[in-house]
Amino acid sequence: MAKVPALIISPSSKEPDKVVQLPPARPMPGSLLPSLTIRRWCLWVSVSFLLAVGALLTCLGFGTESVASSRIWSILVGAILGTESIRVETDPTAVILLQVRLPRVLLAFFVGGSLAMVGVALQALLRNPLADPFIIGISSGAALGAAIALLFGVGLSVWSVSALPVCAFAGALLALLIIYRISSGGHGFSIYTLLLAGVVLNAIFSAFIMFLTSVADPNRAFGMYAWLMGSLTGPDFSTLGVLALYLGIGLTVLATQAQSLNLLTLGEETARSLGVEVERVKKLVFVAAALLTGAVVSFSGIIGFVGLIVPHAVRLVLSADHRLLLPVAGFAGGMFLMLADTVARTVLSPGEFPVGVVTALVGGPVFLYLLTTRNMRAGI
Amino acid sequence: MIIDSEPKSSGPAYELQGVTFRYATRFHDTSVSVLKDLTCSIDSGKILGILGPNGSGKSTLLKLLARVLRPRDGTIELFGNPLSLLSQADVARQVALVPQETLQIFPFTIAEMVLMGRFPHHRGWGGWHWEDADDWQIARLAMEDLDVAHLGSRLVTDVSGGERQRAVIARALTQQPQVLLLDEPTAFLDLHHQLDIARILRRLNRERGLTVILVSHDLNLAGQYCDRLMLLHHGQIVEVGSPGEVIRPDLLESVYGCQVLVDRHPQSGLPRVSLPV
Repeated sequence: MAKVPALIISPSSKEPDKVVQLPPARPMPGSLLPSLTIRRWCLWVSVSFLLAVGALLTCLGFGTESVASSRIWSILVGAILGTESIRVETDPTAVILLQVRLPRVLLAFFVGGSLAMVGVALQALLRNPLADPFIIGISSGAALGAAIALLFGVGLSVWSVSALPVCAFAGALLALLIIYRISSGGHGFSIYTLLLAGVVLNAIFSAFIMFLTSVADPNRAFGMYAWLMGSLTGPDFSTLGVLALYLGIGLTVLATQAQSLNLLTLGEETARSLGVEVERVKKLVFVAAALLTGAVVSFSGIIGFVGLIVPHAVRLVLSADHRLLLPVAGFAGGMFLMLADTVARTVLSPGEFPVGVVTALVGGPVFLYLLTTRNMRAGI
Repeated sequence: MIIDSEPKSSGPAYELQGVTFRYATRFHDTSVSVLKDLTCSIDSGKILGILGPNGSGKSTLLKLLARVLRPRDGTIELFGNPLSLLSQADVARQVALVPQETLQIFPFTIAEMVLMGRFPHHRGWGGWHWEDADDWQIARLAMEDLDVAHLGSRLVTDVSGGERQRAVIARALTQQPQVLLLDEPTAFLDLHHQLDIARILRRLNRERGLTVILVSHDLNLAGQYCDRLMLLHHGQIVEVGSPGEVIRPDLLESVYGCQVLVDRHPQSGLPRVSLPV
């Protein structure tokens, strides 16, 4: 074979036609194979972590009463170190900040991060860049499970484990299995089959939920409607702790499968030929995704499009490698929902509207745009 | 039982005994078997071409050899070890598959995709690992062999079909297999790159002793570059042998159901197939 002169793409441009020809000197392995290294991973994960912390502090400052960032720092540091405990008890700003805003902002962070990571996992598993727990009906399935638990026994618990997230998990798993069977039928996956199946699945689950709310007593039904729209109101730290436990389990499982998810995007047969135990990976990811969706939905209702926009943006900016994509999308999703929730609770202050409104208004147009771009059509 | 993962220099790469396969649909088994009671032995260190009309079971046989599918009946042995007792990664360290078509949905770079071939060589937690300098070196050599090294940082979604196909073969070589299975490797390639692929495969076979098993519709390319040919029809072996023994007008006519002309290649003297006017 003829010796080919080394062609190296200039690092400053991503345009494929801007290929500069360099003299055939010794090619640097790094420039030839710009793959993920531990250094690059640490860099981007810490950058996204710091950005998320910055967004958290910013969001804490906004509200009915805005708080200067220096005050936020002194109150947070005081609360953490316990040095200003007396003032924290009596200071109304500190009470608002620590007992109202902080739990809510943290809830938004957990929920947004989890939804983004579930989106990443489902997109790899279903080989569909438009998969999102809301769009393909997984969230509705979880909501139906949660609605059944809410209407037939709010305080129901087994071994002091609340039945609500467990029922939501079961609903999400059911929806996921249905959608998987439908979209893997026939030869391969079609993007549009999955989306249509999601629409219909959403309709069916919504019909069940509406039936349940119409037979329920009106007071409870009103609360359910507010919750279904996606709301992050009124968590306390013990609720957050329970949520964090569920999310911790689900996210750990997903994170361990990152490399297998990379290979699964090539198709199940190819992944198997490269050494992936496909059935085991699928089961783990199914259960983890259902667990995360179930937990998130039972604590904050249905919030759409986070799992669609965030992974897509991270892939565009950074990488499609799931080892990097999963954690960065997690932080970015948390950031996105914190900001969306800040908009939802400050624009009509002192009133507020559900955060699902903001994510749908941002995510809907993005979804429609993605549906019409070139890569979508090529990906079928 | 102890599984011997070391390749045996001599002896067959594969031994198939009564292998039967049929695809199960969602609700019932289809009654038609894609492969019926296949018994054969595939030599190591040779290039074997699997020929046959559409639907004769060629691709299915390749997937069975890569353990992507499991046979309904019968056994397949890889270097003397039953395939059913090996883990998926054990198989992937010895056998690489270049599939007929590759899904490319997400914007991985060519280099990232080629490096995925190192997956079976790492035993991480759920396959989690970082590629090291050795992995990069192996991937780079494979990319240079296949003339895609300059495409390393391009996205798989942005290159031509032929470039992608060569990158997929580079990924298969990155697995450092003893057996390379290829399903229609030259289907999307222009003449120049068809010849390149065929020569690369022969060079890998001659220099490194790589066993190559390829499925092809291109009887002429297969006849030129394969040491042995296997002709399949309705899921059964019609003939196995040297190109001269398999590429015979009577045999091809009975299998493909149309008249063909066979003469000699002016340079190699090997059989050459043409369609009648």
